[in-house]
Amino acid sequence: MTTSNKKITVLILEDERSLQQAILKKFESSNIGAVTFSSGKAAIEYLKNNIDTLPDLIWLDYYLEDLSGLDFMYEIKKDAHLANIPVIVVSNSASPDKVQKMLSLGAKKYLLKAENKLDDIVKTIYELMGANSTTQV
Amino acid sequence: MKLPVKIAAIVFCGIFLSLVWAVFVKNFILLLLGFIVVAFLIWLAVVRIVLRPISKINQVAKIIASGNLGQQINVSSSDEIGELGVTINLIVKNLSKAFQGMANSLRDVKEKGEELANAKAEDDAILASIGDGAIAVDRRGVIIFHNKETENLLGWSKQDMIGRLWNEILVSLDDKGAILPSNQQPISQALSSGQKVSTVCCYAKKDGSIFPVAVTASPIMVGNIVGGIIIIFRDITKEKEVDRMKTEFISLASHQLRTPLSAIRWFTELLLDGTGGELNKEQKELVQNVSDSSDRMNELVKSLLNISRIESGRIIIDPEPTDLVELVKGIIKELEAKIKDRQQNLIISAHSQLPKISIDPRLISQVYMNLLTNAIKYTPKGGQIEVYISKKEDQIISQVSDNGYGIPKKDLPKLFQKFYRGENIVKIETDGTGLGLYLVKAIIDSSRGKIWVESEEGKGTTFYFSLPLSGTPAKSGEISLDS
Repeated sequence: MTTSNKKITVLILEDERSLQQAILKKFESSNIGAVTFSSGKAAIEYLKNNIDTLPDLIWLDYYLEDLSGLDFMYEIKKDAHLANIPVIVVSNSASPDKVQKMLSLGAKKYLLKAENKLDDIVKTIYELMGANSTTQV
Repeated sequence: MKLPVKIAAIVFCGIFLSLVWAVFVKNFILLLLGFIVVAFLIWLAVVRIVLRPISKINQVAKIIASGNLGQQINVSSSDEIGELGVTINLIVKNLSKAFQGMANSLRDVKEKGEELANAKAEDDAILASIGDGAIAVDRRGVIIFHNKETENLLGWSKQDMIGRLWNEILVSLDDKGAILPSNQQPISQALSSGQKVSTVCCYAKKDGSIFPVAVTASPIMVGNIVGGIIIIFRDITKEKEVDRMKTEFISLASHQLRTPLSAIRWFTELLLDGTGGELNKEQKELVQNVSDSSDRMNELVKSLLNISRIESGRIIIDPEPTDLVELVKGIIKELEAKIKDRQQNLIISAHSQLPKISIDPRLISQVYMNLLTNAIKYTPKGGQIEVYISKKEDQIISQVSDNGYGIPKKDLPKLFQKFYRGENIVKIETDGTGLGLYLVKAIIDSSRGKIWVESEEGKGTTFYFSLPLSGTPAKSGEISLDS
């Protein structure tokens, strides 16, 4: 057993229950910790109240119960504590307009659900997290 | 007996009588009396033989002259005067026939005139009741006729229209109100080519508002020359609305389908990679089938979305100078694995000095991707696929050939229709949406190119498409394909 680094935690913002379940299952088997929200406002609330235990990455769907992905980005970028958390957008709608806006606001990646396997997304997450992460599967 | 003879007879009789009288009478006074009587007798005879018949003829002639062509001259003698009578009768008979003929013709003409007037009244009624605008222009382009519906649709009055040139009122516009170039004006095209032209465009009303129309301009040929044009046009605002709603519906439905599709794909992924527990061989096969089907559905949804985007006209066209050969090579690289798997041979060749061309590489990539994917799919293992790009006049022609199953002749006209799949390959290869070529054609059309195909069943197929060297104009829009 190698010395494991801190387990990655991801905040998942996805308003479809079935998809939430699939993502959670994958994270479980990939040893990634997760916290899920379907409401953008509730997620922001949670983040603001947990400055000491912020997630390592945010998985953001574009269409949420209450906010759009864009509004969410605006909100967290306003807050100094939250602005540096890397965000990946995983949505089923990727018009050039949306993609460009989100990336210019600081999103690291914009991925189409329909074109990406869960495994691919997890690989991307690890790439973004850099070399200081290993998993125990 | 002819006249000269008759007159000679009278004169000789007279002379004879005189001579006889002179022989028997010696008295001078009696002699004179006798000669006077003879002269008188001669005079009577002449009157009777010559003057009376002439006078009779004259009388009848006068009656005829007054208009009574039924009157005939009673001819009794067989001399020249009698002949005159016969001739005059003949003249009158012929005149009578001629007049009768003219009277008949006149009656026919009158009847025809009435028929025409009735037909015109019917046509007028039909034209007035057509729900479409109908206009006629002469060969100079001057408006010579229009129906009531034209006035209603365009807002111009009768006085406004007659005598005007067509391009003051019927000029075709694009949907933003800009005047289309002359080679896209149906009336110009019909006037110069002598061919019927149908198109969809916009017209402006008198008040300046724009509405979409379907227009057909049909030339009226006089021998080989265009005598005029008949234009029929129809307000298609409703149809366009329905079309837009249909496109929006496809877009909405497809987007909605994506969520459960994503769920299916992710859960089958988790099943297959053992997250829920290791599967046995049979279970893996079953789940693999689900995965394959959901992949197909994914492709279908993607194609439907692309089509609805193209049909809504909202696709962005972002042209840039592109080297088509490099573009194709990129696509071939993506398909390398498939080609190897099917042990097929792919050759690409091109003219040595192909210029770069201003097209949207994302859109044209789709075209090559689709044509090559089809070539690979519909050619048996070990087959041969060739790509050849060349320049011809002001076009760049791309060819994608294979020696595969080919396309039956009767399927060729329907090839580019939505959901159409050739009958021969549906049995061999069930995987396919039937939307690929529809999309390809839509992209080529909007790039100002043309696409066509040659094929022989069992031998192979070649798809050709042209792109103008002048490139594709940029188009601002809201979406791109596959987004």
